[in-house]
Amino acid sequence: MRTKNVVIAGVGGQGVILFATTLANAALMSDLDVSVSEIHGMAQRGGSVVSQVRIGRKVYSPTIAEGRADVIVGLEPLEALRSIAFSNERTLALLNTRRIIPTTALLHGPKYPETEKIIEIFEKFCGSVLAIDALDLAKRCGSTRAQNMVLLGALAGLGALPIASEAFAKGIAASVPRRAVGRNLEAFKLGAEFASSSKSLDMAR
Amino acid sequence: MTSPKALVEGKPGSKHLLLGNEAIARGMIEGGVSVASTYPGTPASEIVDSLAAVANEIGIYVEYSTNEKVALEVAAGASLCGLRSSASMKMVGLNVAADALMTLGYIGVRGGMVIITADDPNCYSSQNEQDNRYYALMANIPCLEPSDPQEAKDMLLDAYGISEELELPVLYRSVTRLSHTRKPVVFGEVGEPRKAEFVRDHGRFVMVPSNARARHAVLLEKMDSAKRISDESPYNKGFGSGELGIIASGVAFNYVMDAIEETGADASVLKIGMIHPLPEERILEFLKDRSSALVVEELEPFLEMRIRSLANKHSLKTKILGKEEASLPRCGELSIKRVALAISKAVGRDFGVRFENPELSELHLQIPTRPPVLCPGCPHRASFYAMKASGMGDAIFITDIGCYALGSLPPLSIGDALLCMGASAGLSAGVSKATGKPVVGIVGDSTFFHASIPGLINAVYNGHRIIYAVLDNLTTAMTNFQPHPGSGLDSLGRPSKRILIEEVARGCGVEFVRVVDPFDLKSSRTALREALAFEGPSVLIFRRECAILEARRRAEGGPRRPPYAIDYGKCTGCLLCLNRFGCPAMILEGGRISIDPILCNGCGFCAQICPQGAIEASANED
Repeated sequence: MRTKNVVIAGVGGQGVILFATTLANAALMSDLDVSVSEIHGMAQRGGSVVSQVRIGRKVYSPTIAEGRADVIVGLEPLEALRSIAFSNERTLALLNTRRIIPTTALLHGPKYPETEKIIEIFEKFCGSVLAIDALDLAKRCGSTRAQNMVLLGALAGLGALPIASEAFAKGIAASVPRRAVGRNLEAFKLGAEFASSSKSLDMAR
Repeated sequence: MTSPKALVEGKPGSKHLLLGNEAIARGMIEGGVSVASTYPGTPASEIVDSLAAVANEIGIYVEYSTNEKVALEVAAGASLCGLRSSASMKMVGLNVAADALMTLGYIGVRGGMVIITADDPNCYSSQNEQDNRYYALMANIPCLEPSDPQEAKDMLLDAYGISEELELPVLYRSVTRLSHTRKPVVFGEVGEPRKAEFVRDHGRFVMVPSNARARHAVLLEKMDSAKRISDESPYNKGFGSGELGIIASGVAFNYVMDAIEETGADASVLKIGMIHPLPEERILEFLKDRSSALVVEELEPFLEMRIRSLANKHSLKTKILGKEEASLPRCGELSIKRVALAISKAVGRDFGVRFENPELSELHLQIPTRPPVLCPGCPHRASFYAMKASGMGDAIFITDIGCYALGSLPPLSIGDALLCMGASAGLSAGVSKATGKPVVGIVGDSTFFHASIPGLINAVYNGHRIIYAVLDNLTTAMTNFQPHPGSGLDSLGRPSKRILIEEVARGCGVEFVRVVDPFDLKSSRTALREALAFEGPSVLIFRRECAILEARRRAEGGPRRPPYAIDYGKCTGCLLCLNRFGCPAMILEGGRISIDPILCNGCGFCAQICPQGAIEASANED
């Protein structure tokens, strides 16, 4: 198999690294080689955070080349857009529609683009796009912080990676604190259901 | 994330998903290391953080030292007594420790000692892109460079073996993309610790000039014999048999393998594990009969220049390509694309490889930046607000290394210069002397203990009229909340002797010392005004616990705190809260300010500054 490349973009504090680690644990439980590149320290303080997960038989580089993402997961729309150079005409984009507006965009400099505009750009440059209000789904299982697991569920539900649903569940159990496993699994399930029932997705394009 | 327990409980042969730094920590457990010291710094912090979490179970002594120099000395002391030790630090930390390092090679070690440096290409969390491999050249000690987490663990055991064989400390070079890359790692057996005994040896351990002259010769002999170790290293590996030669070490090797696959170039690769001394025979064998060889390495052209010199010395015609020669960029970090372009250039052939869609550049995307910011509820923001609101006029603000460096961005804009750990005291003195203007030096609590105290004593001794503002959030926040001498906790989080910054300041001879709560705006402003009027150096300690630690305690069952909200009956839309305070929980949409109830930490400081009294604790919790 060719190495699968997943870019996860979001804002520090949204659980980008937890998403990546959970996905990697799921890959490990599927007997695949996997690499996660993370950014710690200063960048985590509410700034742009990108994590890159590579899954395959033998993974070398910790980072993904421009234009080589199989999947771009945007925990936040603007951060997804910042990572669009990773996309190609077959890329699947999973976009959370919940915006976090940086103070820079309020005070000075370029304005935050409309969410619809961001989705349009992804539709133009990617193979398929699924937009999700992950906050809404996360609230349904009682945790606004579980938006990352909603998106992970959506990724699993679309079957874009060579990882079975059970491996994802094991990945969650291996990655989150014990008391939070139930809540995260529930968010994961809501995301998966949303993705598999979604009519808006055009995988054939 | 990976439970720290797995580092101890994982059975030999079992596979675990580990960060490069965690793999290094496991390597220490397998290597029977007894003493692991550090001063926290990204990207090195998790090495000792993960050991600290299991230190009691494995009987390893773990220490957050006051700075990297002390960390290196503590590890060296243990090693002189025959124990295996490690000192780990981010790259700039080795500058602090360099004084000890330069002579340690002369003394040498008895138990294996490995100094781990984590370099930060692209400055993800650092003030420069220095390449610490040069320290191995300068101190003339062996240096090894692993390429992935598995190798980071395995090669560490060899590093300890080499250290003991040569009786020299070994420099172990990581970079951000190794330290913070998570990959499966297969465990080996847990090692036995050594027994400690200090055996006197005056000629070797006491570096007075007569002994030092003799020991310099011994060091040169040892390093000469290390060439054989380098040539025979199992981490030198060859791949492929193409015409183009590529020499790589560390993380760079991975980009090479992917770039070859991307381009389909016919290349052969020599991966080297020990980078000082170089495996000269291996390299010469690889270079001869080749017209050119590309050297791929992270940061400076360290290998390239030495390999070129080696080729010249042996009259080889091989053209050495790399960063100095300009096939690869010298700034930032490597990538598959950068290496693929260098390979294309080296063979003079465009392989037709396309990376990002060129139409993207036609979009001319103008999107807002999202730099890291002080968290909602951060006491530093309140301290900076007080500085802005205290009539400090044309004061110059010299900041330092820590979260509070983020205060230099708008709207707070407190921070006119930033150099290195602890530099705020000395820089402030120089700026004050040169301009005669009010100068405020800003330093964090952990940074205060790390390197600023000599600068503070200097300000007192030489009469520099600076205001030294210590932003004390009771932890080392930026690097993952490690304890420090002023936190009252030891390296494992147990109560310990607490060293109060105000007592240190008074002990240094500072006559004006005040401690204020930054969330008490009125008191903060009064203290700042008094300090400004004081004839002589003053120390103001803005003390309040880090908002993240405080929020964690509340999440674990502490009292809940409602988010704040705008009363639109009172709000006049002046936007002072956003334009002067700029908490990230504040949202401006359609000209109207609101507070994001998820991001708001409920600190309530913004309610103190609203001239209309329009910000109030909301009745409903999210």
